[in-house]
Amino acid sequence: MNKLAFLILEGLKNVWRHKLTVFTSVTSVFLTLMIIGSLFITIDNSNSLIKYLRSKYKIEVFFKKEMGDKESKMILNEIRNISGVRNATYISSNDAIRIFKDQFEEDIHEMLGYNPLPSSAVVNIIDTGQEEFSVEPIIRSIKNISGIDTVKYQGRLIQRIERFYQKFLNAFIIVAGVIIVITIFIISSTIRLTIYARTEMIKTLKLIGATNLFIKTPFLLEGMFHGLFGALLATGTLIGLVHTGNLYINKIITFQINYQHTTTFWLIGISVVISLIGSYRAVSKII
Amino acid sequence: MISFKNVSYSHNRESGIYNADLQIDAEDFAFLIGPTGSGKTTIMRLIYMDLFPESGIVTVNGYHSNKIKRRKIPHLRRNIGMVFQDYHLLTDRTLFDNVALALHIVGIDSAELEDRVMDVLYEVGLDGKEDRKPNELSGGEQQRACLARALVKEPEIILADEPTGNLDPIAAFELIKLLEKINQEGTSIFMASHNYNLIKGRGHRIMEIHEGKLRNGL
Repeated sequence: MNKLAFLILEGLKNVWRHKLTVFTSVTSVFLTLMIIGSLFITIDNSNSLIKYLRSKYKIEVFFKKEMGDKESKMILNEIRNISGVRNATYISSNDAIRIFKDQFEEDIHEMLGYNPLPSSAVVNIIDTGQEEFSVEPIIRSIKNISGIDTVKYQGRLIQRIERFYQKFLNAFIIVAGVIIVITIFIISSTIRLTIYARTEMIKTLKLIGATNLFIKTPFLLEGMFHGLFGALLATGTLIGLVHTGNLYINKIITFQINYQHTTTFWLIGISVVISLIGSYRAVSKII
Repeated sequence: MISFKNVSYSHNRESGIYNADLQIDAEDFAFLIGPTGSGKTTIMRLIYMDLFPESGIVTVNGYHSNKIKRRKIPHLRRNIGMVFQDYHLLTDRTLFDNVALALHIVGIDSAELEDRVMDVLYEVGLDGKEDRKPNELSGGEQQRACLARALVKEPEIILADEPTGNLDPIAAFELIKLLEKINQEGTSIFMASHNYNLIKGRGHRIMEIHEGKLRNGL
């Protein structure tokens, strides 16, 4: 326990001893986490919007004109049994006239002398919560049922938004990956500089019986502290920005930027991991 | 405790040690004398296994140079106190912290650590100077600080490589007397020096190394 306390204290002292180089690496961690954190918040808030749009997926199925109510309802049961279908509501051709009248204030049956509107069904699908939910298999299954005339759905726009969202996610992963790699290099170089500055100490420690782990640990902890300081600064700034942003946005629209507290844990976790990788890279190359 | 059996090691064609045999037992006090570049430091480095012989076997406290695993070397060094000509003190730490470092390595609890450090500083005559940095001490004091760091581990043997090399004659003489006192308390001492006048007539075993050849019993 005493040894561990000593090593942690040494790690902290190292941070204090190398203030200038620490500033560089803490700043780079801070900037990295600011970018990643902003993207997290954007994704989180966009995700809520996407979920809302997904819940609005609606498929309209039109039965062939010759289908009577009985046959149409049998087809409706077949549709309800398709995997991914949440529910299906039957709209008879008479209901369709009523709906038309409600919307356009015209009686089409009176106008034409016959009812041109077929019986139909509105099909709602299950929200699976998947990143990109494809309605195509459901559409295909419905189209394969005999007695179906046409199938219309509003999914294309939503799918387009989802595809854009997916591209954004992919770009985010690449951008975050590149930034993380650069930060690892910066931390690694910073720790390497501090190791070079402590060459005499390392030599002495080896001569008086210190194990490699004992010598490496303060440098690894130093790197971890860089990450932690950067993470704390970044999360503090992000929370402040979200809070201030909400104050201004609320004056214009009723929308709240959501900041999940899990974001803080993620950012701290990411910073600790990248700083440990960076410092481990440096110590294992030199010590 | 320390034995060399037909040990050879060469840095290059001109320098090294050849077919050296050596034996140092518990409570021994032995000097290794020889001119600069004769191989004294090589012998010391072979003992604390910073170097490994090209032929022959070095045995130190039961560890054999031909069998020891790298991860065991720190453990070997913990039972050896080392004193160097250039002190190897950490200039950004106080005297107390420099000496305590040797105990942090073995994980001694803080109460015992403080007692042991203060005791050893008293033993080498540096009590009251524990808060000073090395550059605030004289050469002789720095060397005694180095000795304190070696002693605090309560080693079975102290290796001193030219410990008087940077000291004036009085400080050098005082250091030898201090080493003799430590030896009387049961710690073996093996000291390398090029200054024969300093060590002659003290009643201790003297080994001579010349052009890589080790000769016992001057």
